[in-house]
Amino acid sequence: MSAERFDARVLVAGHAEGYALCLDEPLSFWGGYDPQSGEIIDVHHPQYGQRVGGRILFMPESRGSAGTPGGIAETLRNGSGPAALVLGKADINVSIGALVANRLYDLSVPVLVLPVGQLRRIGDGQRVSIDADGAITLFG
Amino acid sequence: MRLERLDRERLDGKHGAAMQFAMETVVSAARIDHAEELVDIGFAHIDACFYNGRAHLDFVNYLLREGATLAVPSWTNSGLVALDDLSLRDPRRSREMDEARQLMQAYVRLGCKPVWTCAPYQLPGRPRFGEHIVASESNAVSFYNSVIGARSNKYGDFLDVCAALTGRVPYSNLHRDAARAAGLLVDAGALPASIVANDLFYHLLGYLIGRRCGDRVPAIVGLPRTCSEDDLKAIAAAACSAGSVPLFHAIGITPEADSIDAAFHGKPVPTSIEIGVDDLRRARDELGRNTNGPLAGIALGTPHFSITEFERLVSLLAGRTLDSKLSCYLTTSRHVFDAARQRGWIDSLRQAGFRIVTDTCTYFSPAVDGLRGKIMTNSAKWAYYAPGMLPVEAVIGSLAECVESAVCGEVVLENWGEA
Repeated sequence: MSAERFDARVLVAGHAEGYALCLDEPLSFWGGYDPQSGEIIDVHHPQYGQRVGGRILFMPESRGSAGTPGGIAETLRNGSGPAALVLGKADINVSIGALVANRLYDLSVPVLVLPVGQLRRIGDGQRVSIDADGAITLFG
Repeated sequence: MRLERLDRERLDGKHGAAMQFAMETVVSAARIDHAEELVDIGFAHIDACFYNGRAHLDFVNYLLREGATLAVPSWTNSGLVALDDLSLRDPRRSREMDEARQLMQAYVRLGCKPVWTCAPYQLPGRPRFGEHIVASESNAVSFYNSVIGARSNKYGDFLDVCAALTGRVPYSNLHRDAARAAGLLVDAGALPASIVANDLFYHLLGYLIGRRCGDRVPAIVGLPRTCSEDDLKAIAAAACSAGSVPLFHAIGITPEADSIDAAFHGKPVPTSIEIGVDDLRRARDELGRNTNGPLAGIALGTPHFSITEFERLVSLLAGRTLDSKLSCYLTTSRHVFDAARQRGWIDSLRQAGFRIVTDTCTYFSPAVDGLRGKIMTNSAKWAYYAPGMLPVEAVIGSLAECVESAVCGEVVLENWGEA
């Protein structure tokens, strides 16, 4: 099996494995996302209706709302959230949401940054593994 | 990273576990931002009092248990429930609403001033020009930065509280001069006066800017000098719904943009876009302009209605009553509510058929009574978000169109010179 490796910048360290879900456009975790179900509910979003639970979520950036960290912390608390988030640009809100959830609930959901050019090379549904040092391995 | 002695003491746990956690969170944010130092803030507008699940309550309860106290004056954003009118989203009927009420009360216990508004800039006691602050609700961030010239990045839940606890934020991005330079000129100077005079124009302009400007700071040229704070609020709210625009300049109007040269910090304009009538029509139609089917209600006051908007509404209504089969909501802050009540407007608007709500807003879930079906709004922010969260279809209109529609009981739109 072929494997491809990227070295990402670590915003929040952690280990994760799962299948990639690649978002074409920025997503707001408050207003555009339901933290109970893990579903994208922004009717304007190309991936409207998709669930992110357990996936390695690749997205160009997060958007729009101060509620982002709360949305992330809540979705991680109740288990409907992504296994990891890989963004095209560093994002404090997403990171703080994961940091607080990791702290309050003893989780280790990583948040990484990958240049958008590399982000675009990852295919929806590819199996992905993330190490604490930021190494992202793609399989198949 | 350069830290002061007090910062280090807090990191070392000498000021308690909550302060240690808060300081660690601020320092983590600074590392992510590549900030080399922290800066003192003078004010915080807290969004974390807005319930979005149990995690919010777990966080503040942790701080209260550890005896945390705030370092700077901190005001509350809107909450999910109306503490003044619990029947709106009833805590006795759902665990979430009860936790939302507990969350709001917990932030008062933490020491926040309970203003419960997304438009805190409408209240007395504004930050000074150039003052470093923390704002988090997107329209408030944009208004404070753009219209007042205070300096805030777009803080989110938890970091807003950690900053208020420590009085410190990363010295990065919009706290620094360089990031405040415009990077995109938005030319609204070629539009007919009749369109620019319509309050809906500012919502549509903001929506288009949010859609198109990416992470550049837009500078808008061509707005009339008569453009009001309500108009600037509309731009801020719409741009932050359709995109991420924590700062914009309006040439000749906002305080860091006396000229194009000042807004761009003396550098050449890299890119400009022109806004045409067709762009505005398209934005209007995207936000909702379908007249078919019965009208179920109207929703005004997103962000919270100002006293001048109350004045315009009373004038447009001209003593008429709203169609009684509609649900008509108006949201505002307690402060503006009191000012409107002193002028007799609360009583008259209630008699006309408005339900006037404080502390919260109507555009998010759970739906308040009667908000389902076709709802008309004067707010691009409401029209952008509500259809994703509520069983509604939005129709966007000017304040005058909303009033006429609410009086007639059906969608009444003005013609924009279309066939």
